[in-house]
Amino acid sequence: MAIKIIAATGCPTGIAHTFMAQEALEQAAKRHGVEIKVETHGQVGIQNPLTPEDIAEADGVIIAADKDVQAERFAGKRVIDVPVGKAIKDPDALIEQIISGNVPIFRGKEPVTEEKDVNVETRSGSGAAIGHTIYKHLMNGVSHMLPFVVAGGVLTAISFLFGIYSFDPKSSQYNEFAATLKTIGGMGMNLMVPVLCAYIAESIAKRPGLVIGFIAGMIAYTNGTGFLGGIIGGFLTGYIMLGLAWAFKKLPKVFDGLKAIFLYPVIGLFIVGLLMWVLSSPMEAINKGLMSFLTGFQHSNPVLLGIIVGSMCAFDMGGPVNKAAYVTGTMLLGQGNYYFMAGVSAACITPPLVTGFAALFFRKYFDQGERNAAYVNFILGSTHITEGAIPFAAKNPLTTIPILMVGSSISAILTYLFKVQVPAPHGGFLVLPVVTRPFMWVTAILTGSIIGAILYGFSRKHSTAQQTENREGIASVI
Amino acid sequence: MAILTLDNIHRGLIAKSQVEVFQAIANTAVKNGYATHADAVIQGLKDREKESTTGFLDGFAIPHTKNAAIQRPGIIVQTMENGVEWSSMDGQPVKIAIAMLIPESEAGTAHLNYLSKIAKMLMHEEVRKQLTHAQNEQEIFDILSQYLGE
Repeated sequence: MAIKIIAATGCPTGIAHTFMAQEALEQAAKRHGVEIKVETHGQVGIQNPLTPEDIAEADGVIIAADKDVQAERFAGKRVIDVPVGKAIKDPDALIEQIISGNVPIFRGKEPVTEEKDVNVETRSGSGAAIGHTIYKHLMNGVSHMLPFVVAGGVLTAISFLFGIYSFDPKSSQYNEFAATLKTIGGMGMNLMVPVLCAYIAESIAKRPGLVIGFIAGMIAYTNGTGFLGGIIGGFLTGYIMLGLAWAFKKLPKVFDGLKAIFLYPVIGLFIVGLLMWVLSSPMEAINKGLMSFLTGFQHSNPVLLGIIVGSMCAFDMGGPVNKAAYVTGTMLLGQGNYYFMAGVSAACITPPLVTGFAALFFRKYFDQGERNAAYVNFILGSTHITEGAIPFAAKNPLTTIPILMVGSSISAILTYLFKVQVPAPHGGFLVLPVVTRPFMWVTAILTGSIIGAILYGFSRKHSTAQQTENREGIASVI
Repeated sequence: MAILTLDNIHRGLIAKSQVEVFQAIANTAVKNGYATHADAVIQGLKDREKESTTGFLDGFAIPHTKNAAIQRPGIIVQTMENGVEWSSMDGQPVKIAIAMLIPESEAGTAHLNYLSKIAKMLMHEEVRKQLTHAQNEQEIFDILSQYLGE
């Protein structure tokens, strides 16, 4: 009996490579005398769609795509998953591999990644492939989160234009419209962590992950873990839901409906929810501990204090560490120490400005969407909305966060050395009229931001270069 | 107007870099009424190239972009006297660039199918040979039209 192969091809633009891969696979199949049906995911939509019968009858599946082609359908089949370029360049190797039968069975939601196919040259070890998978999940979360940050952040910033206390009914600046804007903007920003968490989980475990990811993200948000907690929650949820899918695999088909609307959400939430709760509850203690630690340092050497404050503010941008610095600052304001808050504000303003300046100086290492978001960060940074930098940090936390910490530390150190006093707890540059030595303060912040931007720009340049190198090696992402 | 005309095909460019090829393609696109701004087309082609190379095998490349400055779909062919570095799949310098321009708002899917047909036909080695050995614009036009008409 003739071997039957099915394939799905797709590329981001969906004009050229999707169809080149289709043609290449069809020709290669003809050369090897096997039957093939290729489904294309192009600009015009899905063409030549694979039916459930096609999938059931197939001896093997080739996924040659740089976009989602609904690989879940192929669970239980022998599946090769490669970038679309691989099918264009070397279709025969893929067909031969399917014929040889030496292909692992695709289990559940996690596609078989390229490192497992033996006939195909791979420079990347398994570490790189896992790294790529994690990056893909993370990016799914970040790209969904970004518009929330921009929408919420900009509305909040606009409300500050009415006066930084315009939201407070007890203040003489109170303005109902501004207060409403700030509330709406705040809701947008508060959704950041849940959305980040939900879409990381969705990328790993599809819809069951999305549902539980949202709730895990709400737990992270409510318990004040900041975006780092959201990232951890997203991965935790995703992989636990994959585990559940595996555990339920043995259930008879009649339970499929029950699985989707009852078993996954309820059992998933029970496990993930409790775990997230336990993991995130120490946050308050961490926060309190850091605060008393920090209060002890308030009169220490300005350089040391600047490093501590700067690093704390930029570390998690709204998480427990940042909050500890910020709340300590507002508390000390109440006690009449206006110096401490000046450094905290400088350190909180710096991270978004770092991304803005970096996108300005290193234009070509940022794509269009990132550049736009980075330019919006000039507004968010200038109004003390540190969260603007989160999408950039979340993309590559291990490199970006230390860079932001350096930038913020420099801003804070200079602020302390210049003996600037800031009597307001937020508002960014909008409070300049009440700042003592406002010019020095702005200089301190710009210095930290620009140094940070140069470091960040070079890190982007470095990672772009690395990606190019990988691409040349495996002719991936077309 | 047609997606491909004889006027869209130009031969014998001497280009030092990929950008110079894009410039020639964009100028043709504007001159022949496919696009409003050459700069936007060049940027679009560059951005696409940044995602990954469109360089293919045997000196062929299919740069393409979907862009607001493009008014109607078109195929622009530019051949080079010298090979241009393109990080192509087989590492060979590119001598024939077949550019595909796609408007932002594409109403009919028929046009997109034409573009895809061109991409598919390049998968055939004999087509690549024919195009490489074509002596003039008319020959290139005839080869491409033959596949577009199918």
